[in-house]
Amino acid sequence: MLKRTLDSVTREVPPDLLLKWNEILSRLTSLAQLAKEARHHWIDPTVSAAIDSLPNRVNSQGFDPWGFSPQEAKFYYSLARHVYDYFRPEIFGIENVPAGRVLIVPNHSGQLPFDGIVVAVATLLSAKPPRLVRAMAERWVSTLPFVNEMFARSGVVLGDPINCRNLLEDDQAILVFPEGARGSGKIYQQRYKLVTFGRGFMRLALQSKTPIVPVAVIGAEESIISIHDWRGLAKLLRAPYVPISPLLPLLGPLAYFPLPTKFRVYFGEPMYFDGPFDDEDSVIQRKVDQVQDRVQQLIDEGLLQRRSVFF
Amino acid sequence: MANILITGIAGGLSQRVAAKLLASGHSVVGVDYREVRSPLPPQLDKLKVVRAHYNKTIIEDIFRHQRFDAVMHLGRAFSLKDSVGKRFDLNVVGSQKLMNLVLQHKVASMVVLSTFHIYGAHPSNHIPIAEDEPLRAGLQFPQIADAIQMDNMATTWVYRHPEVKTCVLRATNIVGPTLHNTLTQFLRLRHVPYLLGFNPMMQFLHEDDLADAIITSWQSGLTGVHNVATDEIVPWRTAISLTRARTFPIPAPVADVFLRATGNFPGYLIDFFRYPCVITDRSLRQQIPWTPRHSLEQTLWSAVADARMNQA
Repeated sequence: MLKRTLDSVTREVPPDLLLKWNEILSRLTSLAQLAKEARHHWIDPTVSAAIDSLPNRVNSQGFDPWGFSPQEAKFYYSLARHVYDYFRPEIFGIENVPAGRVLIVPNHSGQLPFDGIVVAVATLLSAKPPRLVRAMAERWVSTLPFVNEMFARSGVVLGDPINCRNLLEDDQAILVFPEGARGSGKIYQQRYKLVTFGRGFMRLALQSKTPIVPVAVIGAEESIISIHDWRGLAKLLRAPYVPISPLLPLLGPLAYFPLPTKFRVYFGEPMYFDGPFDDEDSVIQRKVDQVQDRVQQLIDEGLLQRRSVFF
Repeated sequence: MANILITGIAGGLSQRVAAKLLASGHSVVGVDYREVRSPLPPQLDKLKVVRAHYNKTIIEDIFRHQRFDAVMHLGRAFSLKDSVGKRFDLNVVGSQKLMNLVLQHKVASMVVLSTFHIYGAHPSNHIPIAEDEPLRAGLQFPQIADAIQMDNMATTWVYRHPEVKTCVLRATNIVGPTLHNTLTQFLRLRHVPYLLGFNPMMQFLHEDDLADAIITSWQSGLTGVHNVATDEIVPWRTAISLTRARTFPIPAPVADVFLRATGNFPGYLIDFFRYPCVITDRSLRQQIPWTPRHSLEQTLWSAVADARMNQA
């Protein structure tokens, strides 16, 4: 059917144009091939070694069912490492991440998911042995061209209970932001005040008997500052939020360039919970509150120790 | 030895199932509403072919004249060249007629081939999808309503008529040397496009492995709804490179317009090149002794080998 249409289209096109088109196509393909090969020069040897040391869970073509590919992840994690170095993070308590299945639960902030990148690079490069975190993404991410593929190849999966359960049963580490987009879209006035956590992560932890590591990320709140969320435009763009920077009149789009704030990441001791996962919301909520309180406590302690936003 | 009726006998899959059954000594009657290309290969010498609409009366005569031990309903019409009305008549009304005949003539078992397309490719799909999950396809593509309704009908039937051993198989992408379905034809193109910025995970099942799954399900007396898939899950572009085709990107809006204008590529399929729809066949493999025998490379190459030879 399709072949016939394409053939009929090609019949009507003059042959020399077709040849040219073919040439353009093959040039483009070889360019894409070149770009792919050039990636190897970008790969950071430490990142590469860390990814090689991960347990192998991929098929004959080098992919896991969610689309994670160690080979491509090496490139994306090498890029992520530049982001990581830009924020010069100090990592505290990484030894608190236990072996086997674990839910890593940080606060969410900073408009763009730099906090996620920093936590993911920290667990890959600083944890012993290196751990790959599987970050849970918003449904919206799957609809973004290029981003969806980049994320999937680096190990990000759609934040869904079934994905999460399958990964935990496979003893992997999951990075989940229970504040969701409401957390990262926070405006400056609300910085370091947690938005109410969702309950889904706690039910999963109870069901799969998974320890929770509370985490505080300090510094992301000040890297991109938003003083207003433009809901109308967000709705139009189908985005979760549209931040308005106070520097917008002065700098234009440059106002969204992240400031080189210094990140401090505190991994708390693992918390273990017991009880039925299908209990009433109020019972689950009490357990969620314990985690939220612990994350808030880590944030408050971190803020007390901080002398400067940039150093 | 059993006497078996197979629908969709003009298609490569049905013929493969028929050949396997004939080889093990069963007798087979093949039905199709389309013309069967002749001559048939020698392994199908003993096949009886009848041209009949599944929703017309000739099919009743077939049941009157002989007794069947099993019916394999593999002939779902999926071509968009047929109007929605025609596909509804064939797939929904036709299947219902067939199922009533099975009941009326006390046929012991029935295998119905459905498709994973009814789950729909959706941004909120988790991986993998099991049988008891919602069928999202109808949400965005009402054109697929006939496939969903046919599947629902067969699934309800499993529980309403336990006296007939009915099993519904929802297969993932089926490709193979003798098939002419949309995806196989697509892979045979010299330049196979992909949607710019998207590269979803996909599964490909060899027609021969599916034929084995169908026969083994019947022999094991399997009932219920089961996915049929493979564990080799790869991105679309990896699959294209395994077929040794050249590839080029199409921006999604252009693809939408192009497909709408030409109208001969099922519109609901386009999302399958954007979002993943990966299924699990754990329940099937727990209940019957079957695993796919063809590797991913073999599967994809078998589908395009002839086409590539001609293109060279």
